Amino acid sequence: MKVNTAFDIYQTTVNAPPAQVAEAKARRDLFKDAFGTEGDIKLVRASGSLARGTQHDPIKDVDTILIYKPETKPEWGQPGDSAEDALDYVRDRVRGLLGTYGSYKPNQVRLARPGDHAVKCFLDDPDAESPFTVDAMPALRQPDGSLLVPEIHSHGWIRTNPGYLIDLALDAHAQGRIYAPLVRVLKRWRRRTGTHVKSLLIEVLALECLPKTGERSAALAAFFAAAAVRVNDPICDPAGLCGPIQPDLDVVALRTALEEAADIAANARQHERWDQHDVAVRLWGDIFGPDFPKPPNGGGSGGGPEGGPGGVPIDIPKRPVRDINQG
Amino acid sequence: MTRRSLVIVPAEAADKIRASAGAWGTLGMVRAPSDDLFVITAYQAGKSGAVLPVRTASGQERHRRVEEGAYEASWHRADAVTHWAHYSLSARPDHCMPLEQFRRLIPTAPHPHNDAVLVLTHAPGVTDNPDLDRLPEFAAWRVTREGAEPFDLAVEPRAYGLGQLVGHWPVEALSARAVLVVGVGSIGGEVASSLAGYGVGQLDLLDPDRLLWHNTVRHVLGEGDIGRFKTDALRDMLTTRWPSLDARSHVKDVVRDADHVRLLLQEVDAVVCAADGIAPRRVVSHLARRAGRDAILTSVLEDGAFGEVLRLRRAPDEGCLLCRRADLYGTGRMDPERALERGYGDGDPHRPMTAVGPDLHLMGDLAAKVTVASLLQRQGHNEQRLPGEQAIVALRPQPGFEAPFDLGRAGQVQWHPATPPRPDCITCSTP
Ligand SMILES: [Zn+2]
Repeated sequence: MKVNTAFDIYQTTVNAPPAQVAEAKARRDLFKDAFGTEGDIKLVRASGSLARGTQHDPIKDVDTILIYKPETKPEWGQPGDSAEDALDYVRDRVRGLLGTYGSYKPNQVRLARPGDHAVKCFLDDPDAESPFTVDAMPALRQPDGSLLVPEIHSHGWIRTNPGYLIDLALDAHAQGRIYAPLVRVLKRWRRRTGTHVKSLLIEVLALECLPKTGERSAALAAFFAAAAVRVNDPICDPAGLCGPIQPDLDVVALRTALEEAADIAANARQHERWDQHDVAVRLWGDIFGPDFPKPPNGGGSGGGPEGGPGGVPIDIPKRPVRDINQG
Repeated sequence: MTRRSLVIVPAEAADKIRASAGAWGTLGMVRAPSDDLFVITAYQAGKSGAVLPVRTASGQERHRRVEEGAYEASWHRADAVTHWAHYSLSARPDHCMPLEQFRRLIPTAPHPHNDAVLVLTHAPGVTDNPDLDRLPEFAAWRVTREGAEPFDLAVEPRAYGLGQLVGHWPVEALSARAVLVVGVGSIGGEVASSLAGYGVGQLDLLDPDRLLWHNTVRHVLGEGDIGRFKTDALRDMLTTRWPSLDARSHVKDVVRDADHVRLLLQEVDAVVCAADGIAPRRVVSHLARRAGRDAILTSVLEDGAFGEVLRLRRAPDEGCLLCRRADLYGTGRMDPERALERGYGDGDPHRPMTAVGPDLHLMGDLAAKVTVASLLQRQGHNEQRLPGEQAIVALRPQPGFEAPFDLGRAGQVQWHPATPPRPDCITCSTP
């Protein structure tokens, strides 16, 4: 099995099912259209991984930003109660537009609950196993293009610029069409690190450390190696507004996982160069786990009985160095 | 094999021959008898074309000064068979091609009569045919009445230098990187030379001192630069050697001019400290960590018995210089007082000349390797990962020292991990 084929197959496992992506987009558009009819709204825009193309299975929520006309909300943006007021206002309007008696479309939102920055809107039964939610975040556009959004826990408003990350991600993907799918692969990989790693942290790490063009195996190998150094320094909001993305990150645990992956990836790349694709695929499987495709004979060089699919670990073949010297 | 003569073909002369519509022409040359070398200096199409001077091949400027009189050669278009014959004859010394046969292959070649003439042949066909890739596009012959024998020839390539390594070494990535070298003494000078050789694009050289007579026994700079500031002389030497290098001289002291260094650190990717004594290393350790730059510290200890390379990174589990040393000082394995006393007590900030040049250069090269590996790992080169954060090298090892300085055999290298920051460290605490 060729390495590229294995990645193609694995990608379909990692990607959210197309029907689910379509459903998520439809629900996001429902909010866009409903709030688009509001007189005090300037613009409704998508945010989050769905907008960046880096959503991964399963999609449980989508993010929307409700950008209000500043003249209609003069009291918003001040420290104090206005943050809470804004979220209460959005909750009321969600109910008014999409609730049981919603004027735009009734019976869409079963529950709307203000969180720290946004109103979490349950489109499925909140008691379901993984209910689908839409986050609706009120915001005021600032002269520099950033957004002012409420933050309940600090009793005020903070500046943020989610559009900046979206633009960076779309640009990165446009360079070689490998970026978005590989970020989805890496978001799945983060669950194998043995430590909690925020999905957004992986995304920002990928923006810096993942090559945007070339072969996928080469890009991933370079990512693991570069990120293993990059994590030593704080990883912050690329727009420079929100500070460290995950202050409680266990840097040493993540670095160790990245270093291990980098070593296996380098080995996989070497066997790919030697046209030992089955061995390479086996090694990539060591990084990404049992969901990664297995080569037909398990990746052993001999293809003996011990090399059956999912078989026991096999000695990776080694090569003699050619005694051709350079002085 | 005995010394054979060589003819050097400048790139411009080669291009003129390739582009000529004619089948032959004349070449002007100068000869450097001491090197048994001919250098082409002029080109002429046919016998009556204008004589055009060609730009001297790089590195051959000195031969313009040779007043040996002009020599003449001729060039001729040839086919692959001629160059195949040249290739075969080259492997068989003292064999030559009979004159009649040579003149059948190259009808335009002049008759040597009782003399010897130099003939260059150009076989354009060999570059189009991959099966002929062992054959040279240009060849030279010494033709006498006895026959034509191969003559060595070298064509100046259009591109050479680090560009030749593209595809084998990340030349482009490193050409975009900048490194500050603090202290360009015997070790630091070699660090800078080595970094330039690796292809680092920008070097900031910082040292307050001038090169004096006693330095030359082990410095990369020699007698010709005595009296100059080391950073100036090194900048000039390196940019002559590596024309695309951006080398900058800072005649500054890292301790007294720490503010200058703080600003410089913002503009570089890493810093190497090869200065004498503890104080400069402490300053570099502190400023680099604050700036979030990797710092590589290198020196020799115990009069050159051991060499050390330390890499300081701003990782949460890796301490600064003082944190790394605290453990060694605290357990009596290293003695800071003795170093301070000997370095500064007598008013002479410099260590006595005890270590030999190549041992220092070995440490300089290792420090440069560590620096470049650090830069490259950040760019996804996993093969540049180091085995640890501290390397101890046995140069003239002496028994009886505490670990990690307990290496017994010259050439032995031992790597150790970093020690974590102390909780109360001012340098390591989050700025
Ligand atoms: Zn410290």
